[in-house]
Amino acid sequence: MKIFWAFTRQAFHNSVVFRVEFWLRFLSIFLWMYTIQWVWRILYTQRPGAFGVSLEQMVTYGVLGMALETFMDVGPEWYISQQVRTGAIDTDLMKPLDFHLHMLARSTGEMLFSLGVLALPTFTVGFIFFGLQMPPTLEAGLLFAVSITLGFLVLFHLGFLLGTLVLATLDIRSIAWAYYSLISFFAGQMVPLWLFPPALRAVAEVLPFKSAYYIPSSIYIGAFTGQEALQAIGFQLVWVVILTLIARWAWSRMDARLVVQGG
Amino acid sequence: MDSLRLYFKLIRIAFQARMQYRADFFTGIIGVITLNVVNLGLIGILVSRFNNLNGWTLWEMVFLYCLWILGHSIYSLFFWHIRALEDYLIQGTFDQFLLRPANPFILFIGREVQYLGLADATFGIAGFVLAYTNLGLHWDWVKWVFFGLAIVSGTLLETTINLLVACVAFWTGRSRRVGGLIMQLNSMIQHYPMDIFGTTFRVVVTGLIPVAFMNYYPALMLLDKTDRLGGWGWLSYMSPIVAILMVYLSARLWNFALQRYSSSGG
Amino acid sequence: MITVSHLKKYYQRPVRQEGFLGSVRTLFSTKYETTQAVDDISFHIDEGEVVGYIGPNGAGKSTSIKMLCGILVPTSGDIKVNGLTPHENRMENARQIGAVFGQKTQLWWDVPVIESLRLFRDIYKVSGAQYKHNLELFNDLLDLHEFQNTPVRQLSLGQRMRADMAAALLHNPRLLFLDEPMIGVDVVVKERLRTFIQQINHERKVTVLLTTHDMIDIEKVCSRIMIIDHGRIVYDGNADQMRNQYGKQRTLVVEFEEHVPDFETPHAKIVKSEGRKKWFAFNRFETSPSSLIAHISTSYPILDLAVEEPEIEAIVRTIYQGTAEVA
Repeated sequence: MKIFWAFTRQAFHNSVVFRVEFWLRFLSIFLWMYTIQWVWRILYTQRPGAFGVSLEQMVTYGVLGMALETFMDVGPEWYISQQVRTGAIDTDLMKPLDFHLHMLARSTGEMLFSLGVLALPTFTVGFIFFGLQMPPTLEAGLLFAVSITLGFLVLFHLGFLLGTLVLATLDIRSIAWAYYSLISFFAGQMVPLWLFPPALRAVAEVLPFKSAYYIPSSIYIGAFTGQEALQAIGFQLVWVVILTLIARWAWSRMDARLVVQGG
Repeated sequence: MDSLRLYFKLIRIAFQARMQYRADFFTGIIGVITLNVVNLGLIGILVSRFNNLNGWTLWEMVFLYCLWILGHSIYSLFFWHIRALEDYLIQGTFDQFLLRPANPFILFIGREVQYLGLADATFGIAGFVLAYTNLGLHWDWVKWVFFGLAIVSGTLLETTINLLVACVAFWTGRSRRVGGLIMQLNSMIQHYPMDIFGTTFRVVVTGLIPVAFMNYYPALMLLDKTDRLGGWGWLSYMSPIVAILMVYLSARLWNFALQRYSSSGG
Repeated sequence: MITVSHLKKYYQRPVRQEGFLGSVRTLFSTKYETTQAVDDISFHIDEGEVVGYIGPNGAGKSTSIKMLCGILVPTSGDIKVNGLTPHENRMENARQIGAVFGQKTQLWWDVPVIESLRLFRDIYKVSGAQYKHNLELFNDLLDLHEFQNTPVRQLSLGQRMRADMAAALLHNPRLLFLDEPMIGVDVVVKERLRTFIQQINHERKVTVLLTTHDMIDIEKVCSRIMIIDHGRIVYDGNADQMRNQYGKQRTLVVEFEEHVPDFETPHAKIVKSEGRKKWFAFNRFETSPSSLIAHISTSYPILDLAVEEPEIEAIVRTIYQGTAEVA
């Protein structure tokens, strides 16, 4: 547990140094929230029934999608690719700490930092300006907490896997663009999966991405309750296990290669 | 004319340099096309479900987006690195532009090209052709000329906005993040017809950071649409003029910034 | 060729405040402090001189070179480079100067060297005949053809420096600024570049201003030294003169027949001991080596001895320290 706090503190120091960047990120989230809630409101006045849920729920879903992004996606891929390209990965390999765990600790630390510093003001702004609602029941709130934890783990492992690709390509920037746009699409960050055309929805339902936004947000607004919510959490859990296994396997391959190459 | 000839020579070298990284080329192209497909896909899902967004049909919105992407593609092909001006200043590369008997601005913009613009262009042309056919448009020559002007204006607007922001680095040393944010805001706005947002927002993107002239206003003219708010319609012809104005403003700022640079030493 | 009088360049730098509160405060108001990068310097360089321009980092070397190039405008004072004021006629001035910055190549990183040279030909509007002639010359002197088709990023540091040197001289400049061109270059290439600088200087009467930390460069190629520290010129003259003026100190190295303890000697001080050897520093105006030797040999038997002249580097260091004490 100590190590998480160490990384949280470090994240705080870094962000004080890049404070301009910090405020800009906040501002850009604000603008995205503004846009999404306008679009939903306009669409709702056009055809009130077409969402399947109330306007309040729909706006909450969209604004929440932006608010979650502030702390869910910490991007371990950038750290890994930078370390490999600069050769600094050697120092990571020399640490008496499993690299996968090290990255998990680092990402969790950064996530906790963002949660405290970025997500809280974002949620506050969401509540005051953009009609963000509280979860309907205490039960939904608790399940939501479990669900975002699992969603974070899914995103972390996807990022970790993306990072290991750096050995093959040396530069993951252009791949990352495709990856991020696919995530925000298939994860249902702004548009929930139930609005997708049937064929696309079928694909999105089986992919792990929906664990990141669609499941937690749906639980939060009360679209998933009871059995359905538990099933969704089960889905997340399965993907966490699968992705953890793949990530550890990929890392062992990468580790072997780094050792052979001598870094 | 000398400057223009020099610019083409610089660009030739820049392309040659870029071609050194071919593996990047393909992943980059795929990345950009995916990005655009997803951007449009989200809009597509919404609009097809609701038939239209505030009176804008699916293909009209595809048209709107592609009008921006076409101008954007030229910008990202030739002027993308304007945003990286701060790196030139920090690393001292900028001094080299001032060391030559040639216009420093030409030397700067001729320094790099970014092939990803080609992916944008491909996507933009495809999207535009689809939208044109599906909307059953039959333009006369006036509209085609204006269409060309609108694309070039879009390029100039995006370039000059980036240049204005990048010049801030001459004072503060940093400007890239701000530039990134404004462009993020821009690409968000370009997805949606402006008239869904409120008046305050409209004033900002019309008067303060004139990104609405890249696609929304010219699209009104090209698609024979009227603005919901009313009273803003005359702006649909103004893109080229606003672009020229912005070119003038950014040229002034650039020259001023250069003076400032040589008197303060960066 | 170059006349500089009472040149000053002051910078306004924002003061960063420490700590979290400090960084919040800098968001709203910023204090400035003035640094005197170049503080009232004057000198004159004749055509065909090779001047070594030396000083510690941050002494004002780069700032003054940038002003000579017209990149920076002086706070006050006058500069004339071959009759032109650089910052007023930057472009014209650019045609008559060539510059090499050792830390930073001016060549296009990802394209073959020859492509960069062709581009410089166009930028400087070099005639076809002159371009051809110069390229042949650089092939002879720098073996440019060995790597002219290689992208710059694949060149060794020595090759890159040779390519940069060729690029700087392609337009037959009257004046050449070399800002630490030898940094990180191996001994063989260094020697080659020195010969090249001398040749260019002799054959084309190119005036050279060379910044370096390597004192061998100074001794081998420079006819004159200017030392700058804290924005002021603290020495201007030739190398021998400098030795006479500042090099009062000599060192007598004595090897004794056996180990001896440290002992007092009039007018000299033991500065170093190593095995049976001892180093005695003395001022040559206070005592002579012979009287010192005579004195020492009365106490202990001497096996071997030598008198060391001060290294030019050590002299430069004493000059810096001298100004540091004054400042």
